[in-house]
Amino acid sequence: MAVTERNYAVAGHNVTKVDGAALVCGSPKFALDVELPGSLVGKILRSPHAHARIKSIDTAEAESIPGVACVLHHGNVPRIAHTTAGQGWPEPSPYDSFLFDSKVRYVGDQVAAVAAVDERTAEQALRKIRVEYEVLPPVLSLDEALAEGAPVIHDEPDSEGIYDATRNVAAAVDIPVGDVDAALGRAEATVEITCEIPYSQHVPLEPHCVLAYFDEDGRLVLRTSTQVPFHVRRIVARVLDIPMQRIRVIKPRIGGGFGVKQEILLEPVAGALALRARRPVRMAFSREEEFVSSRTRHPMRVRVAVGAGKDGMLQALEMEATSNTGAYGTHALTVLSNTGSKTLPLYNKAPALRFHGRAAYTNLPVAGAYRGYGATQGYFPLEVAMDQLAEALGMDPVDLRLKNHIQEGETSPIFEKIGEGREGVPQVVRSCKLAECLQVGEERFGWREKRAAPRHSGPWSYGVGVACAMQGSGITGIDMGAATIMMTEDGSFRLHAGATDLGTGSDTVLAQIAAEVLGVPVEKVTVYSSDTDFTPFDVGAYASSTTYVSGTAVLRAAQDVRSQILSVAAGALSQPAEDLLLEGERVRAPDGQSLTLAEVGHRAAYVVDQHQIAATASSVPQESPPPFAAFFAEVGVDRETGIVRLERMLGVADCGVALHPDLAQGQLEGAMAQGVGQALFEELGFSQRGRCVTTNLLDYRIPATLDVPDLQAVLLDSYEPSGPLGAKSIAEIGINGPLPALSNAMYHALGVRLTRAPFTPARVLEALEQGR
Amino acid sequence: MKIQFELNGTTHYVDIDAGESLLNLVRRLGALSARSGCEVGDCGSCTVLLDGRPVRGCITFAAKAQGRVVTTVEGLGTMDDLHPLQQAFLDTGAVQCGYCTPGMILVAYELLTKEEDPTAEQIRDALAGNLCRCTGYRKIVDAVQLAARRKAEGLWR
Amino acid sequence: MRLQGVIRYHRARDTEEALSLLAGYEGAGHMVAGGIDVARFPRTDIEGLIDVTACVPSGVEMSEQGALHIGAASTLTELIESDPVRRYGGGILPEVLQDFSAPPLRNMATLGGAIVSAHPWADVPTLLVALGARLQWTDGTEHGAPLEEVYGGPFRNTFQRAVLTGVKLPPFLGGFAFCKLRRSAADVAMLNAVCGIGLEGGRVQWARVALGATPARGQRLAWLEESLVGESVREELWQEAGREVSGKLDMGSDRRASAQWRRSAAGPLVARTLAHAAQRAGQ
Repeated sequence: MAVTERNYAVAGHNVTKVDGAALVCGSPKFALDVELPGSLVGKILRSPHAHARIKSIDTAEAESIPGVACVLHHGNVPRIAHTTAGQGWPEPSPYDSFLFDSKVRYVGDQVAAVAAVDERTAEQALRKIRVEYEVLPPVLSLDEALAEGAPVIHDEPDSEGIYDATRNVAAAVDIPVGDVDAALGRAEATVEITCEIPYSQHVPLEPHCVLAYFDEDGRLVLRTSTQVPFHVRRIVARVLDIPMQRIRVIKPRIGGGFGVKQEILLEPVAGALALRARRPVRMAFSREEEFVSSRTRHPMRVRVAVGAGKDGMLQALEMEATSNTGAYGTHALTVLSNTGSKTLPLYNKAPALRFHGRAAYTNLPVAGAYRGYGATQGYFPLEVAMDQLAEALGMDPVDLRLKNHIQEGETSPIFEKIGEGREGVPQVVRSCKLAECLQVGEERFGWREKRAAPRHSGPWSYGVGVACAMQGSGITGIDMGAATIMMTEDGSFRLHAGATDLGTGSDTVLAQIAAEVLGVPVEKVTVYSSDTDFTPFDVGAYASSTTYVSGTAVLRAAQDVRSQILSVAAGALSQPAEDLLLEGERVRAPDGQSLTLAEVGHRAAYVVDQHQIAATASSVPQESPPPFAAFFAEVGVDRETGIVRLERMLGVADCGVALHPDLAQGQLEGAMAQGVGQALFEELGFSQRGRCVTTNLLDYRIPATLDVPDLQAVLLDSYEPSGPLGAKSIAEIGINGPLPALSNAMYHALGVRLTRAPFTPARVLEALEQGR
Repeated sequence: MKIQFELNGTTHYVDIDAGESLLNLVRRLGALSARSGCEVGDCGSCTVLLDGRPVRGCITFAAKAQGRVVTTVEGLGTMDDLHPLQQAFLDTGAVQCGYCTPGMILVAYELLTKEEDPTAEQIRDALAGNLCRCTGYRKIVDAVQLAARRKAEGLWR
Repeated sequence: MRLQGVIRYHRARDTEEALSLLAGYEGAGHMVAGGIDVARFPRTDIEGLIDVTACVPSGVEMSEQGALHIGAASTLTELIESDPVRRYGGGILPEVLQDFSAPPLRNMATLGGAIVSAHPWADVPTLLVALGARLQWTDGTEHGAPLEEVYGGPFRNTFQRAVLTGVKLPPFLGGFAFCKLRRSAADVAMLNAVCGIGLEGGRVQWARVALGATPARGQRLAWLEESLVGESVREELWQEAGREVSGKLDMGSDRRASAQWRRSAAGPLVARTLAHAAQRAGQ
């Protein structure tokens, strides 16, 4: 059913964001906008070595500084193996981290922490902590890590879940379908490409921060900038060895996440300091710590081989990924798995498939969850390979995609073979408008004309490129979100959802879903979210899950509340509930009688059969319907200097019903901009001894206004039957397009393929030189 | 040392540390819309207006505020009475996480005092130093253009 | 703000007071105008800040001959908006200054501050060196010298004990052009060039070529300038000049760019900037 036929009153409209007025007024809603008297400042001492054992640590002088409340290190905290990954239990990441360890595994690793009366005193104390290191040979690249006889990074006996610690392999995957080598051998056309994705960082404008304090009952409260409040509670309980019942986690407004806050990083430290000092503790990463000591993209080397018939139908598709997970294995297995699971199904026509790969430890910054989550790394070589194949076959790249992409009603064996660190679940694609995305996109872009005649102007060469992608919506059978809706006696509603709004607008979208079902304007739904004391469970914001999973929970709770309302009204009006209509804030009977929602609420609270009209519902997705998108890029390259200029980028997506078109479009625009950054500028640099030297925003460039002057996002009309009010998701997919679309556009302009991101002027000149 | 200056219409006579930043000063006086994102003036989250001109609060010495007028978005409008520029940001969907938003609004506010009908290019130029990681900037530019149109229609203050 | 441990903030009423305060701190004092430079880089050794904005002139005057006198405390925004500055040299100053970062930084950054901090990647040194700027400063006695000469000596030491008061830019007949290669749009330079050409009868009468962020601070390529004088203006002349630059110049690597890339890109950069300057000279 097209949206025009659906006649949604609230969903599908651009209602004012529920927190919008507060945000444009700069209202104090972020984690550290609260000041508590007697607060201490927490700071972390970081390792100067990439790989070392701590032989001794002497904190006596530091502790004696006036104003220093406590100093923590491996000698005075419990040693409890855990993962920092914000994933549902059992976390599919190795338990290879400790609050403070006696070994350090990257420059910037956590050695000790101090709580003091102010920042200056805390930093003074850090300087007075005496650490004796036994420096070990560092492992600073994938090849070094996987080489025979490489130093073992995780040689501790009490870690669990590492694939092969002796070989520095955190995780490994091998998923064959049929015999891909044979199929490649038989294919009439084959192409192979290897692409490299470097270290990059999310750069949320608000670095990680937390305020740890105690409530009136002495329970630990963590007001923290997180995407995963419930995982924070569970993992902090584990690490600090205190009952979950004694912890409350509150997520206020946060200044961006993009996956870097799907991690339990500062909370255990702040909590431990607060517990030790029995005073509130404020902690925030500096921008440098945010770059070096939080989390990054998984750098990867990914090889794709594609075999096809002369008619362009894919017969074989192989992807091999070697992933650098850094010093700890958080998200190592799942990002690696997603590299294949979110890409290979897109071209389900190939009967022979293989996805295989390994994630290796290195003594470098820790990679974690980052928007795209492996799919970004996989689509780069996959979509470049498709471009190569189109050229080899003399086909237009758009036509090759149209011929091969998965369609509505189809499936891929990959769905059931690769899940979240384990086997997946078979599924059939119920909504897929990728063909329209390609067709609408190519028309708006002027694809065929630009493709036929690449233009030149002096030293500038211009080209166009295309790429496609899919992602997922939540994690089948694993993610769970819940919501509670309570009716207030004045006819308004409170929606309490565990779901986590990162600025994405999920509070608004969830309110819209509830308002749609309850027949009220969105202003009548007050949202309170992400507080482990008062909102029901939700895994948190990742895997593009909030609308699809948490939204379904809201839908169910709203439907339940709706039928309770009709029940109460039926009693008041002496009419059968099934004959009543709820809309426009009234319950109407066929005989013309009606009640306002306020009257219903009042009756239920005070008049007869008093009860609280409320419902709690949960949702676990049984499938993960992929959003789809096509990306078209136009690029200009100065052949003499290598300077690259993005002329235009167009993304056309199918996200199911866009419950809030502006917010959905905003996700696509923002993700594309982030992808442009990864394609053109973003890369962390390291010294020869493994120290990250890109630690500020002057050195690490992210796109600013002038870098993305013509960025356009279009959402097509679509409907996902399994989604709440027809929605799927849109949060991540946009970041998958720019890398391959720009590489393909540059090939069109220059005749050489850029396979190493970012496509810096130096790499452009190098590629032109080599004539690759 | 003591300084006297005006913040959002209120005169303050306060003690400051010699090396204190203007950002720190306005925040402890309650203007929490100005934020720290990078500590060194590269991201724009700390932007405030000093005598009507945008500056980076985190690398401007608080002492520089002596005898001058400082404005943050708290001085433009309130939740019950939004400034038309703030409203425009809401209307075009230009606000996601909101961390960069106050800085963007202040720079746009000053731009609109100088340019009646700024082109998209002029807007992007003025905002070139204010980073946003969420939006890709398109809707922010739309918001400033919408605000300019409303200003031309006399809906301003 | 990365500065810690500052104890006093002084507002100097005149240069004598500034200098005497500076001397009193024995190295632990630091002069600020806009102040943004010292605030960016972490320092714990500064105890006293001496604000000189009240005692250093700001503002611009153009002499009858067309020379520009710029007060060192002028902010970059003031200069961009200044009428005499816009008229000078076809507007080469606003063209370069507008490329510096973004308006909020330009509203605080002063020309004097840019000259004294002299970051190797900065565009202002390259510009002023190309224009033949002359500095005025006082350490109790008034001094004046060409900027190029000052940069050739221990200028950081000099400005520890002196107050930069003004910059003089000579008038010229010809055209100047500026070109900067950078990673992202509002970035500092990977390479920057400012070139000036004066023409007479279709031949180069004078030439100025300054190349910066190599990664060293902007410097004139006097050998190249000499080779251009007297030559007839043609496209091949600039191309050849570019090849000379690529072939002869010592380049280095830094976080933004490699030496190899700089060697390749510097040639086209200089060639284009020269051609552009010649075009403006001809107008």
